[in-house]
Amino acid sequence: MKLTTHEELSSWLDSLAENLNLIAPRAVDGVPLYRPVQHSQEVLWDFTRPVLSVKEAFFPATERLLTIEKGNRQIRLIESLSEEPQVVFGVRPCDARGVKMLDALFTAAPGDPYYARRRANTTLVGLACREMGPTCFCTSMGGSPDDASNMDVMLYPIEEGYLVQAVTSKGQALLDNYALQSREHSTGQAEQKTAFVYEQAEKYPLPERSAWAAQFEDAYWDQVAERCLSCRICAYVCPTCRCFDVRDEALPEAMSNASPSGNGSSQFERIRCWDSCTGEAYRRIAGGHNPRAEKGQRLRNRFLCKFDYYPRQYALGSAACTGCGRCIDACPVNIDITEVMQHIAEVSQC
Amino acid sequence: MLAISERKNGANPMVPYLGKLVKVKDLAAEIKLFSVEMLDGGREAFSQYYPGQFAFLSAFGVGEAPFGIASTPERGPILDFAVNRLGSVTSELHLLGEGDIVGVRGPLGNCFPMDEFKGKDLIVLGGGIGGAPLRPVIHSVLDNREDYGDLTILWAARHPSLLVFSDEYEQWRSAPGTRLHLTVDQPDDLWDHNVGLITELLEKVSPSPKNAISITCGPPVMIYYASKLLEKLGFKAEQNYVTLEARMHCGIGKCGRCNLGEKLVCVDGPVFSMAEVGGLRESFL
Repeated sequence: MKLTTHEELSSWLDSLAENLNLIAPRAVDGVPLYRPVQHSQEVLWDFTRPVLSVKEAFFPATERLLTIEKGNRQIRLIESLSEEPQVVFGVRPCDARGVKMLDALFTAAPGDPYYARRRANTTLVGLACREMGPTCFCTSMGGSPDDASNMDVMLYPIEEGYLVQAVTSKGQALLDNYALQSREHSTGQAEQKTAFVYEQAEKYPLPERSAWAAQFEDAYWDQVAERCLSCRICAYVCPTCRCFDVRDEALPEAMSNASPSGNGSSQFERIRCWDSCTGEAYRRIAGGHNPRAEKGQRLRNRFLCKFDYYPRQYALGSAACTGCGRCIDACPVNIDITEVMQHIAEVSQC
Repeated sequence: MLAISERKNGANPMVPYLGKLVKVKDLAAEIKLFSVEMLDGGREAFSQYYPGQFAFLSAFGVGEAPFGIASTPERGPILDFAVNRLGSVTSELHLLGEGDIVGVRGPLGNCFPMDEFKGKDLIVLGGGIGGAPLRPVIHSVLDNREDYGDLTILWAARHPSLLVFSDEYEQWRSAPGTRLHLTVDQPDDLWDHNVGLITELLEKVSPSPKNAISITCGPPVMIYYASKLLEKLGFKAEQNYVTLEARMHCGIGKCGRCNLGEKLVCVDGPVFSMAEVGGLRESFL
């Protein structure tokens, strides 16, 4: 494996930022987030994981699908597809696994071109975790803090700098085209792996997929949901939650007047934005009927989606949870997905 | 007339085709029937579609919502949609008139297996605006009358003013081997048909399950009790077809909104047999 120094890596990032859209962990008002950076000095190097997952780079919290120009009995629709090549630096392995799961969903036929374009135009540069954070449990979910398998390039921080691994040809091209300075390092991959000893390996039991549906009628869901605020933050921070809403919004008057047709037409944008099945109105249909009117029903759906429905619908081969632990950190009433897993494991054993 | 859809990616399933409203008429109280002539690429996209499929209608500037297609391509290129004025999109649609442009995204979802229904007696149960996605089934049967057995239509609404497609009843009734039974919960002075819930009517008509298929669409509670009663009459779950309604935002299995347990109404449905959804842990009720 090759070794690069912090300085060499920084100048590589600078040349990336000069030539394409570079997204990296950055402190925004003290909050670590994956955000565009212009210079390596903006990059946050010491972080457990950004507060929001890397899904934002492919599936933004709000994005425009269409611009709608509306005149008197005249409509013009303009697609809004991103073409820009981008590199995401500092991707954590839990997040890259999440991207793989989103890939399965968004690229299943018919593919979603908004996601697919961004994904095809993106190179993922991973950064192995030095240690697991207090709420991390990726090792319980089949992941690992130094898992390179869903990255294009993987970096392993060691004392002397970073070990560099080109995982895909796309990653190799990025290393070559922007000339990351590096040299052979005597540490082989096997030795390198042993440099990371993660203390929390397989901390929690992962129940069988069938165990979840078997507990569908469990009174437990209502008990857990009693304190749920239906605030939806668990879905927003989740690397695999992908539910969205679509609606039209008027563009500001100034922009409307500047419309190319100049005929006094008004402009709108059709946007999609993140949503979550824990929200009260999520499943309500026209006329008011709501098959998931109770919080317990909604929270149950969230967990069954993660561990049963989503894996089955999109043949994931694993649960749709990467063990990043963000929902545990973010929940204002301490609903803890690992406690739910433990409960299901316990009741399905008896 | 300018109606352009600029598609960088011809296959973008989230971009609607444009269509012109060629006719808007009152179908029932607060329910209008919109007849749409597709423009440009939409003609090709909707040159073929099947009973039970749906499409999103856009009221540009407000949003879009899914509706069952109430027409068949065999009767012509104009698409029909029955729209009940309930939310923001449907309220905006109700303000539109002939000549106005709407977006139409589809056709989406699965369809009734009309080929499998051939040679069988069909019992069609429509409740309120739930009758709209069943009209293509009725039209298909009437247009290929000799392919199917008896057609029994049970058509219900809360009030006579809410019965849909009443201008077609004579045509339905006069077709060979076809019977139409009407019922309302709250009759008015002029009402001279059945009074009561569709389940009461179903009990009275009591169709034989032998070589028969039932097709139901209506409010979830109606579908639930009608299915129970059909089972009591001897219909097996595989003989009972339903088309389900769900809130949805993509129609292509991405937005997650319409899940019913592990099923997605948009791509696994909206047409299901009760064998598929009757046993799901999560009820549509």
